[in-house]
Amino acid sequence: MTAGRRWLLSACAACLIAGCGSIDVPASSPAPAAAAATAAAASITVGTALADQQVLARGLDDTPRSLDPLLANDVPGQRVADDLFEGLTRAGIDGRAVPGVASSWESSADGRTWVFHLRPDARWSNGAPVTAADFVYAWRREVDPKTGAQNAEGLAPIENALDIASGRKPPATLGVEALDARTLRVHLNAPTPYLLDLLALQYLYPVYEPAIRQYADAWVRPQHMVCNGAFVLSEDVIGSRITLAKNPQYWDAAQVRLARVIYYVLPSRADQAARYLADELDWTDSFAANQRSWLKSTLGEQVVNSPYFGAYFLGMNFQLPPFKDNLALRQALVLALDREPLVRYMRQGMYQPAYGWMPPLPGYELPPPDWQSLGDEARHALARRLYAQAGYSTQHPLRVTLYTSIQDGDSRHFFEAITASWFSVLGAKVQLYEEEFKVLAQERNLHKLPLFFDAWIGDYPDPYTFMQIRYSGNGNNNAVYSNPEFDRLIDAAGQEPDNAKRYRLFEQAERLLSDDAAYIPLYFYATRHLVKPYLHGWQSNVMDRNLSRYMYLLEHQQR
Amino acid sequence: MLRYTLRRLLGAVPTLLVIVTLAFLLLHAAPGGPFDSEKRILPAIQQSIEAKYHLDEPLWRQYLRYLGDLARGDLGPSFQYRSTSVNEIIAQGLPVDATIGLTALALALLIGGAVGINAALHRGTRWDYGSMAVAVAGISTPVFVVAPLLILVFAIKLHWLPAGDWVRGSPSHLLLPAVALALPYTAYVARIMRAGTIDVLNSAFIRSARAKGLPLRLVIWRHALPPTLTPLVSFIGPAIAGLLTGSIVVESVFGLPGIGRYFITAALNRDYTLVIGITVLYGALIILCNLAADLCYAWIDPRVRLQ
Repeated sequence: MTAGRRWLLSACAACLIAGCGSIDVPASSPAPAAAAATAAAASITVGTALADQQVLARGLDDTPRSLDPLLANDVPGQRVADDLFEGLTRAGIDGRAVPGVASSWESSADGRTWVFHLRPDARWSNGAPVTAADFVYAWRREVDPKTGAQNAEGLAPIENALDIASGRKPPATLGVEALDARTLRVHLNAPTPYLLDLLALQYLYPVYEPAIRQYADAWVRPQHMVCNGAFVLSEDVIGSRITLAKNPQYWDAAQVRLARVIYYVLPSRADQAARYLADELDWTDSFAANQRSWLKSTLGEQVVNSPYFGAYFLGMNFQLPPFKDNLALRQALVLALDREPLVRYMRQGMYQPAYGWMPPLPGYELPPPDWQSLGDEARHALARRLYAQAGYSTQHPLRVTLYTSIQDGDSRHFFEAITASWFSVLGAKVQLYEEEFKVLAQERNLHKLPLFFDAWIGDYPDPYTFMQIRYSGNGNNNAVYSNPEFDRLIDAAGQEPDNAKRYRLFEQAERLLSDDAAYIPLYFYATRHLVKPYLHGWQSNVMDRNLSRYMYLLEHQQR
Repeated sequence: MLRYTLRRLLGAVPTLLVIVTLAFLLLHAAPGGPFDSEKRILPAIQQSIEAKYHLDEPLWRQYLRYLGDLARGDLGPSFQYRSTSVNEIIAQGLPVDATIGLTALALALLIGGAVGINAALHRGTRWDYGSMAVAVAGISTPVFVVAPLLILVFAIKLHWLPAGDWVRGSPSHLLLPAVALALPYTAYVARIMRAGTIDVLNSAFIRSARAKGLPLRLVIWRHALPPTLTPLVSFIGPAIAGLLTGSIVVESVFGLPGIGRYFITAALNRDYTLVIGITVLYGALIILCNLAADLCYAWIDPRVRLQ
């Protein structure tokens, strides 16, 4: 090592220690003794000091539908909004809520009234203070049907939100009030133990009223946007690139090490991997499942998978034959599938086979259903018995169509394997039918399909985000499942302030779903990123929220 | 000539009208709407969104409204990319596609032209067969194979050029997409030029030009080239329209902010205005390029009279 380089290294190390707090440096950060760690195949040498150029290149799966956080209802939109804006709370490095614009809060004994105290130093990117009134404005705008915000229902726990979003009450009746510039009071319909996680979602971020008044829809253009997060928008090339620059007005700017973040929009996962391999991306949003083993052998530890709060399942329509009032048939289809080999061989082992409704969540412990522990033979035999009980046989097999959206070849093979399993175990003749996603979505919502592919990703780490869609009459209850006892348990959980007791109620409710064979579980999602070894300040988390504000680049040499 | 041009331009109006009408009707007839998604929206909000985009009006009214906006040059708001207008998307994407497309065309004409003429002059030789074999391979290799291969070699292995992204005025970002796009066109141009040149070289006026002792180079440049351009022009006319509106594959593989990809994604997303907008644009460009090609014929070949 030359003298010059050594000086640089120690200078950067000093800045790393002096300038930055403790929360952001993950435990995995290399110890100074291991001066250079070499990543196996890609020959990247990583130092211990901060890199001179703190410019992060991130892949993004699609063009955000809007950079207006209140209109962003897609994952790419959420990722960018997370960097540009900050709510009362924000997603921490582990995905769970930490204080954001609010530095402290207290709630009433019944958990229905919350008071948030805003930081005095929270500022908009134009220097104006972020006030309680900004939140009142933003939330009213979100639930106002005139805004057309697709996430408005997310504010449902707040008093009158659903009535306003349904056009029955004016936006001013929303249960939120600014007591003074720095104090916000929120009135809830019921104790909402996940409120703090909810507040860290993009559709509860504040927005700057004067900018929206002046520029209307165009307020999200780089020249007009006023935001309050760790970064500001410096360039937006639709369909290609979104460039963010560090926001000097951000109250916690001292903790933000990246000078710039460039999001590259690359809808094809193979293209993201190619750009990563060409050293043009430091982080990909995802990678193609069928490239996983090859990437793993080439990149080793740079391929990162972790559990994600999403479930992939098949829906059975409770109002249409053959599933209506036919518990035995529904159970037969659930039991006939061998999930372990299906996921291992048809999904490259990337996901976790699902036996229940809720993806794993700390504190939520549902014992697996009895049939999970059965051997294949016993389980198949049980499935066959139920199938016969439902009135089907080799002479009179089940004939039904499984509707899926048009996907890549891998997913098609996965569905083919499912229908083949049903045929070999039960003799059921299930036909596959692929539709455009928009068509599938519409027909699912109109409850026209008997058997269909479905998926759900939780908004916040709480069972309710999953349980709500099996509630009678819920707009996303594509299966038209309805069980008064299930509804009662969910209602009871809604009134229960003690989280442990709530979880037990949800567990009971989920057991009902399982007993009713309300859905066919397939697998739980996984996050999938390619991450350069010199990119630090992030953690895999079930919500897959990875804010750039925590990230930083270490000194490194590639090739 | 001027009157001819004006008449052709006026004749384009009904053609475009038919294109708009068909695109409009087909899109609205397709099942699934722009705001159908995995999550259901509250009815009042759905209504408000539909009202904002006038989707709650009867179809004929939406159609007339669209025509009225179109007449004023307003292609409407994008449904998929909220807070963005179709005009903005096109204004941003068209220059990118045009830059790449015209560069690709220039490469195709230069290389393809030279190869084609050369092959014709050395007809029946190894050079002829070799270059035509390469041309056939070039035509038959899809861009979705060529583009990733270029990236693999020049970006991932050699690290000479970027694997993607678009930086205005940066030749290194332009080169790979332009080459990928140019390859099939180069091959076409080579074949057309070869066939045209062989035709012309066999004709009587070339024989007389050579008989009167003109050097070969002059014969080719002055006498043989102009008539061989006629079939080329009829190929290039529509090709330019296609190149200007971008290539779906090249744009997505290199992550370029063009408009070509929207021919697919906007249709899948039921982004009605964006689909109709780029379809009309494409139609208008085709009409213009064909007109330009016809005007070029008259200019190249004095025997052609435009009526």
